[in-house]
Amino acid sequence: MCDLYLVDDDQDVLDSLSWMLEALGHSTECYISADRFLASVDLSQPAIAILDIQMPGTDGIELLTKIKSANSPISVIMLTGHGTISMAVQAIQKGAIDFLEKPVDGDKLNHLLAKALEQTNNAFTEHNLQASIVERINTLTPRELQVMHKVLQGKLNKVIASELNIAQRTIELHRQKVMQKMQVSNIAELAYLMANSKV
Amino acid sequence: MNRRAISSFCSVICPTLRRTSMTLLLVCGACFAVAQEDASHFTNATDTNDVAEKLGEHSVSTTTIITPLRVGALAFAAPDAVYKRWAPTLARVSQETGIPLELIPLTPNELVEKVSREELDFIIGNALITVAFKKDYGVSHLLTLMPRNQVSPEHAVGSALIAKQSLNIRHFQDLMHLKVVSSDPNAFGGFQILAGEMVKQGLNPLADLKHLSFVGFPQDKLLDQVLDGRADVAILPTCVLESALARHLIPPNALHILLPKTDSDIGCQTSSQLYPSYAFSKLGKTDHKAASAIVRALLAITAQDTQAVAGHYKYWSVPVNDSHVFALLKNLQRWPFVTNWQRLAEDATPWALLIAIGLLLGYFHHLRVKRLVVKRTKALSDEMAQHKHTQKALFEQQKQFYKAQRVLLTGEMASGIAHELNQPLAGIRYLTQGCIYRLDETQTDLKQALNKTILQVDRAQSTIKRFRQFCQQPSVYQNCDLKDLIDETLNLMQPDFKRMKLVPQLALWPITVSVDQSLMQQVLVNLIRNALDAMETSHKPRLQISVLDDAGQVHIVITDSGVGLNDDALQRLFFPFETSKANGLGLGMVVCKRIVEEHGGKIRAFNNQKATTELDDLKARGNLTFISAIPPKGLTVLVTLPLKGQIDV
Repeated sequence: MCDLYLVDDDQDVLDSLSWMLEALGHSTECYISADRFLASVDLSQPAIAILDIQMPGTDGIELLTKIKSANSPISVIMLTGHGTISMAVQAIQKGAIDFLEKPVDGDKLNHLLAKALEQTNNAFTEHNLQASIVERINTLTPRELQVMHKVLQGKLNKVIASELNIAQRTIELHRQKVMQKMQVSNIAELAYLMANSKV
Repeated sequence: MNRRAISSFCSVICPTLRRTSMTLLLVCGACFAVAQEDASHFTNATDTNDVAEKLGEHSVSTTTIITPLRVGALAFAAPDAVYKRWAPTLARVSQETGIPLELIPLTPNELVEKVSREELDFIIGNALITVAFKKDYGVSHLLTLMPRNQVSPEHAVGSALIAKQSLNIRHFQDLMHLKVVSSDPNAFGGFQILAGEMVKQGLNPLADLKHLSFVGFPQDKLLDQVLDGRADVAILPTCVLESALARHLIPPNALHILLPKTDSDIGCQTSSQLYPSYAFSKLGKTDHKAASAIVRALLAITAQDTQAVAGHYKYWSVPVNDSHVFALLKNLQRWPFVTNWQRLAEDATPWALLIAIGLLLGYFHHLRVKRLVVKRTKALSDEMAQHKHTQKALFEQQKQFYKAQRVLLTGEMASGIAHELNQPLAGIRYLTQGCIYRLDETQTDLKQALNKTILQVDRAQSTIKRFRQFCQQPSVYQNCDLKDLIDETLNLMQPDFKRMKLVPQLALWPITVSVDQSLMQQVLVNLIRNALDAMETSHKPRLQISVLDDAGQVHIVITDSGVGLNDDALQRLFFPFETSKANGLGLGMVVCKRIVEEHGGKIRAFNNQKATTELDDLKARGNLTFISAIPPKGLTVLVTLPLKGQIDV
């Protein structure tokens, strides 16, 4: 289970929504404005945020933009009193998982929360994976990186050796090191890892 | 050559020629003279050889001089008689001078016509017509005829009133009720001289002689009419009566001359002053040498010569004093029968032309003025129509604007109310559903009731939603020029600017945007009105409006020098029912925000200090040419719209 944040400028609405979600087994953290939310929430952790669009100061859409531009794994569900199509399109384009009209039905929201939870976890995992791939790549020396790219291109050791103008034995050593540092046991795993990498 | 043969040849040829064209070549004239001599059995010294010689000379001269000089002779009724009278004289002159002459008997009108066209070289005419020609056509009087039986060429012709012995009168006035006959109104010796006398007496001969009639020639006919009693008085030239008596045509002492002059120079009695007889004149163009030769030849004729006998004259004299003829002409010129209409017409032609041109110019001027009037009237009415149209358009625009505002405000109010109701309804629904979730399986009654609560909430909400949708106006997007739109809006608000004595500072240029014009106008009007309201108490109100485009966006910057807003009010500026105005509804800015957002744009407001940094940012991107520094205090509203075709929908 992850954190569930509610952001709405209307305290009563916040309280009542929180009351309903608690009945569904979700513990919530309520924020009366976007600024307060941004001030106290760690955007890098997996979480779900239910945002009201109409708020004074930074509004829901703007907050969504900020969250997404921070590369946060947080799943965002947008709520609005009266939505327009353009608003909905904008929200979805900016990365909200859904755009709902207030008041949202508890069952529907619960269902959506399950999806959001999965998504934020995935995002978080993905995020972590990417981070670890980057970390692993960063441990490689430039020569090792060079060798890795050639290996991934499917070249044989002797070809790489002649291309880089070094001994085949040295290539073998570099290769071993790359496997070790990238934490893979064979070329197939390395290829899979790098294929998923967004680097 | 046989004289008889010549004369018979001539008598066959010449009349034919004469009849056909009323002209005769001098050869014929010479023949005629010979023929006449022959016919009248004159015993003349001229022998056949002479004639032959003369004819020979003529045939030579006709070959050398092709065109003969033309002599027009005045003739009234009998051109033949006139021809016979002058032809021998001219034949002789022609013979003596070697100049071919052509004699043309002409009526007064024909004579005038030919003289005016300069188709003649010489004229033989009465004193009056000669004087008239002198005056009108510059004809030179060369010789005056000395008639037979007269003693002075100056006093040769007069007019006589002839009546029966039983009739006598004392004044010309007495003629007024008598039956008067005369031969021709143009006859000099007959009617014209007498008419001149009557004019001198203050009478109008044509009007006052009630029973005047012109019976034509011959003149003896008139005497018969007087004798018959068909006429009381005959107006005839002098000597006609005496000649008739001499020829025993009328019984002696039957007729007498009325109003006879005693000191008559001539052997006959006259009722009028006497005037000179015929005159021989040349036209201005005629060669003077030829004229001199002809004059010499004419002067050589003596009373005994056959030519003089045929012409009923003694000899030709030098011109005599014709001043009294001039006086007569002057008298008569008042009367139409002697008026030279052609001459008058010629005289009048330039004037008539001038008048015609004047009239024509006047008419053109009139036409031009008329056209101008029509044009101006049309222009004026066009302008009026245009003005009316503009006014109507403005009125329509205003109406539309207010309608749009009303609709928008209604919509926005509905929207605001909907929002305000929606929040508590949402709360109720969440709380109710939270309650339901908290119930255990046994509490079905409560669950049912709470579910009904939710249904009620949903019902209320759907009502609100429908209400809001009903009040919303569908937008119509059109490409339009933002500059035009702003100008139009400012025009719409002109009265407000006038009231505040404010001239907005503008930095506009054409930028095409795709917007709902009436909605965007609402935005502009609301923003400008807000700015004006904020400056209501300001001494030096300033309003700056500028547009600039920046990477697919267009910014509209509206800056006032008003009181500005505190941070809290600024944060809630675009929320419904937030207002600083006593009578405000707090919807204007909400409307603006909604419209701008519906256009895919953004609207932001800053206090001027903060706006400066924001605008500096725009300036840094190099596309803001703001008119001048923005006022230190006041509000700046920045509306950002996507350029056309870039709305995210």
